[in-house]
Amino acid sequence: MSRVLVLLRVMFANALRGVRQASTTSLLAVFTIAVVLVLVGSASLLVANMTGILDDFGAELQLTAYLDGDLPEAELPDLAERVAGAPGVASVIVVTKEEALERFERIAGGGALLEGLDENPLPASLEIELRPDARTGESLAILRTALEDLPGIEELAHGEEWIEGYTRAVALIRGAAWGIGLVLGLAALLIVANTIRLAFYARRDELDILALVGASRTFVRVPFLLEGTLQGMLGGLLALMIVFGGYELLLPQLRYGLELLVGRAELSFFTWSESLSLVASGAGLGLLGAMTALAGWRGES
Amino acid sequence: MTNPAGEPPVRMYHVSKSYMAGQYALHDVSLEVRRGEFVFLTGASGAGKTTLLELIFAATEPSEGQILVLGRNVARLGAGAVPALRRRVGVVFQDFKLLDDRTVEENVRLALDVIGTPRREARTRVFQLLKSVGLQHRRFHHPKSLSGGEQQRVALARALVNEPEILLADEPTGNLDPELTIEIMDLIVAAATRGTTVIVATHDHSLIDRYGKRMLRLENGRIAEDQPAATAGIGSGP
Repeated sequence: MSRVLVLLRVMFANALRGVRQASTTSLLAVFTIAVVLVLVGSASLLVANMTGILDDFGAELQLTAYLDGDLPEAELPDLAERVAGAPGVASVIVVTKEEALERFERIAGGGALLEGLDENPLPASLEIELRPDARTGESLAILRTALEDLPGIEELAHGEEWIEGYTRAVALIRGAAWGIGLVLGLAALLIVANTIRLAFYARRDELDILALVGASRTFVRVPFLLEGTLQGMLGGLLALMIVFGGYELLLPQLRYGLELLVGRAELSFFTWSESLSLVASGAGLGLLGAMTALAGWRGES
Repeated sequence: MTNPAGEPPVRMYHVSKSYMAGQYALHDVSLEVRRGEFVFLTGASGAGKTTLLELIFAATEPSEGQILVLGRNVARLGAGAVPALRRRVGVVFQDFKLLDDRTVEENVRLALDVIGTPRREARTRVFQLLKSVGLQHRRFHHPKSLSGGEQQRVALARALVNEPEILLADEPTGNLDPELTIEIMDLIVAAATRGTTVIVATHDHSLIDRYGKRMLRLENGRIAEDQPAATAGIGSGP
């Protein structure tokens, strides 16, 4: 075995020995990382689901172009095609006068309201679905300008305020998630660094003896970095399990609440890659914490 | 590493060490220690014995002057070069500095682990060293279960397992009774007879008289006396 491999084996063994021996401090580090990642993980899951719900709403945001009553029905497909080519339009659905009437009757529970009228008063319309990137006030204004001058379109009904509200809500939630994540992450880093520094000081004698017998800085530092990474990984794994447990436990209540509030309850847990990211974040946090804790040590007794 | 044959492994030129302005732990010390020479360093507490040893194994830097250890200028050693120098200098302390959670074998093997010595080779060398200090049967014990003399023999084995060119001992028998003191000192003298340069800090004059080696007496950080080795004495010679 080459010397490098022997050194790696010894450093890894020292890291495991460190975790085993400083079991209380190690557990403290693992739990600290887990607590922080439970908070970050829960916040991420909440944000992901909230933006998911908002995206579903966004998909339903649409523009309705009410058409001129004199426009011959034969020209509808041509107009629809021109509208579909306008900026930000994902799809266009043609609603003829008859279809509008059918819908009205369905909603109003029969045609009793329109019985006295000689002819169908409802106009034909185009239901314009917006592309996700066009669900903003600016994009909507551009689209409006493009459609307003088209012959055959009498009125554009849109949910501009709705769309602006939607955009603001998404931006707010994403911004809050970043802010919370950043603050929690920094707090976690400091806590983890201090916890690992405690472990470091608890083994000061060992480090001094290693320095005395000619251990390089790398030989002394690597086991601590491995230890931090390992603790972080375990913390991440624990956090994932806790968040999953909490999610499963609260899911029925959440679904019920959401159905009451917004009429839908499609919630989802992290994907495999997102779950791995959470565990990897723990490992990264542990590694960074260990690096911060070791920053002041010169490696000489 | 450079240290041409015949060049003294320890050379100090007008070395001073001050931890506080105007107060010297060591003041204008110049000395040479030859290859394979055995030197007792003596003096009252605070005379500068430990500081002198610390300067040799690069635990601290001189405030003034130059120190050449095994051909390397200690004041100019980069952080990365310090471990390499220490692998050529064995050190023994009064308080043994052993790791209680590791066995005797693991404690001695530390010095080999840090340079990536393969496990089998390391075990063989550790066994031989422990045998030479009479502790091979205790290799799986932990330091706490050993007597003071045995613990110091383990520390000595750890200091010697890398076959260092210099052995430094700071009051190695300070915690031991007279019988164990002689046992440890005989082992240290034996290292010198194999060609290792040895410097032992002690305030025990009976040892200096018994072994008749070169003696440097420090007083207030200065060399007050440099007494050459006696022609007769136990393990007499350089």
